[in-house]
Amino acid sequence: MDENRILEVKNLNLHFKTYSGNVQAIRGVDFHLNRGETLAIVGESGSGKSVTIKAVTKLLPDNAVIDSGEILYEGQDILPMDDKKFSHLRGNDISLIFQDPLSSLDPVMKIGKQIMEAILIKKQGTKREAAAKALELMRAVGIPEPEKRFNEYPFQFSGGMRQRIVIAIALACNPKLLICDEPTTALDVTIQSQILDLIKDMQRERDLSVIFITHDLGVVANVADRVCVMYAGKIVEVGTVEDIFYDPRHPYTWSLLASMPSLNTSSEDKLMVIPGSQPNMLVPPKGDAFAARNRYAMKIDFEREPPMFRISDTHYAATWLEHPDAPKIGIPALLRHRIDEQLREEATS
Amino acid sequence: MIKYIIKRVIAMLITLFIIVSLCFLTIRMIPGDIVGQGAQPEIREAMEERYHLNDPLPEQYVTFLKNFFTLDFGESITTYPRSPVFNVIMDKIPLTLQLNLFSLVITIPLGILFGIIAALKKNKPTDHAISVMVVLCVSVPSFVFAALLQYFFAFKLGWFPLLLELEDKGLTLTKLWSMVLPVLALSFGGIATITRYMRAELFEALNSEYMLLSRAKGLTRMQSTVRHAIRNSFIPLCNIIIPMFMNLLGGSMVVENIFGIPGIGRLTVMSISNSDYFLTVAVLFFYSIISLLSVLIVDLSYGIIDPRIRIGGGKTVE
Ligand SMILES: Nc1ncnc2c1ncn2[C@@H]1O[C@H](COP(=O)(O)OP(=O)(O)OP(=O)(O)O)[C@@H](O)[C@H]1O
Ligand SMILES: [Mg+2]
Repeated sequence: MDENRILEVKNLNLHFKTYSGNVQAIRGVDFHLNRGETLAIVGESGSGKSVTIKAVTKLLPDNAVIDSGEILYEGQDILPMDDKKFSHLRGNDISLIFQDPLSSLDPVMKIGKQIMEAILIKKQGTKREAAAKALELMRAVGIPEPEKRFNEYPFQFSGGMRQRIVIAIALACNPKLLICDEPTTALDVTIQSQILDLIKDMQRERDLSVIFITHDLGVVANVADRVCVMYAGKIVEVGTVEDIFYDPRHPYTWSLLASMPSLNTSSEDKLMVIPGSQPNMLVPPKGDAFAARNRYAMKIDFEREPPMFRISDTHYAATWLEHPDAPKIGIPALLRHRIDEQLREEATS
Repeated sequence: MIKYIIKRVIAMLITLFIIVSLCFLTIRMIPGDIVGQGAQPEIREAMEERYHLNDPLPEQYVTFLKNFFTLDFGESITTYPRSPVFNVIMDKIPLTLQLNLFSLVITIPLGILFGIIAALKKNKPTDHAISVMVVLCVSVPSFVFAALLQYFFAFKLGWFPLLLELEDKGLTLTKLWSMVLPVLALSFGGIATITRYMRAELFEALNSEYMLLSRAKGLTRMQSTVRHAIRNSFIPLCNIIIPMFMNLLGGSMVVENIFGIPGIGRLTVMSISNSDYFLTVAVLFFYSIISLLSVLIVDLSYGIIDPRIRIGGGKTVE
């Protein structure tokens, strides 16, 4: 085992049992997270980002069935662990911040008590010590007048404040691994950057390993070291931030990048919209799941699933375009232009 | 808050006034002869005289209202001749209260328990079994249960007496034993209602985001269910449990009739079939007060139990 890997997911397959059939939500997901790094998982809504991290934290809903795969946390497979054992791990090592801060706090429990709960569950120290630590955490995440706020209820907090509380709860256990599932999507833009800064500060101070889920590529560039691009339950491209932003290989990554507004996009510049929608995962398509929406799709894309092609030690992409025999298509001109512009800008500054 | 209560109480008084007036009118429209066919003309005359039965209806109504507002509810005419209606009702309450208390004592914990089990085992055989029982208990009226219980356990098997034991004044063992069947008959519906409600609320709570967060804190599934999900689902549950407490006084007309229980429920049936005007109006008035009060108490208690309303000043924040 690689000592440097805090988390490793190997060939994860899982489906949901539903009334209309089995939804093949995760189809062979492979990725790893190194200690101290921030890995971003991006992909459009429904690509399976949340399901993946719910599998990693064993918080899957009851109708989820794991077909195969391994999830190694510090070399230990967590899938066979029972609820009690894994709850302990969750309380001590792994923390989560969710998509929706407005509903992730218990509406009828006082804020202070909810933070204390995360501290007391580890059965160290007295109630008084826990309360003191909770206050300290509230201060650390930037809650003004924590003594007063301690005895208030979630509905008395704004969305941004609630997300700060959720972060305080996540940090209560001094985690090694922090998983953030779109922690800022529900917040408005100014609050978003405050929360992002807070998470970044916390990571630096505590040397956390972070998985950061988002569909905002701007956020990715801001926080991540490496990026996984997810589509229809698979990771289609993985690489460092530079790999993904400056040398993207998968047509889906191209579309994602092209659909992202950048700071210097003027209003005349057209943003590309990805046509169509993700395939219905009740009947996963044959071949490359993105083929139907892919302008560059070849015959083979509809027939055989592409393997992961190695581009460099850090960069892999699952597209037949990387096959030695494939026509050299290259990045679409519009995107090429944007990347070049960005590179030029970076060089000058 | 005070202003709110005052407003509510005024609205309640107006509603009560309307209900009483409607009762007064409908009762007179039900066919039936108060005095009884073939009574001596002198008796008829005396009765009509005493109860102003020959006055024009509007005049009767005014007298009636006047008395009603001075809390003089009149006398029972036929059922308990010449006893003040108020005393008759007061006399009936204890027994009804006793039976309903027993029923509630088993209804609430059992309902909550079944509801929790069903929610935790949602869509598993246990849940399906409970759901079938719930549908059965909700849709079959209590008098059918009463009749069935009485037929099988009292008549066929002879384990229980057919009727309620009334000889013993105190709460003896024989009396308790005779209460078992009526209490059961009274409870099925309530248990089913609470079960259904609890199941729905808890299931929703179990799938909420705050459950995920509490699991993320390191609480086991059981711990977060008890500390967060169940706690949260109790709040909406008050909506149906508090009225049940109020209904303690009401009793069930049919179950009381079947088991020969001289309580409020049976009194209602008797007073209506005897055309006992004043008694009927008073009994219906009594029921109206109970249900209006329970609505009021539910609203107010929400303000006490749910911090979102208590502190949020009545506006729901979500
Ligand atoms: N409990 C469930 N039952 C059935 N299908 C589910 C369930 N949970 C998720 N899915 C399906 O799994 C797929 C992936 O969902 P997931 O929540 O991981 O998407 P996501 O990438 O997190 O999207 P978003 O950006 O909107 O959060 C979706 O197609 C969804 O319909
Ligand atoms: Mg998601």
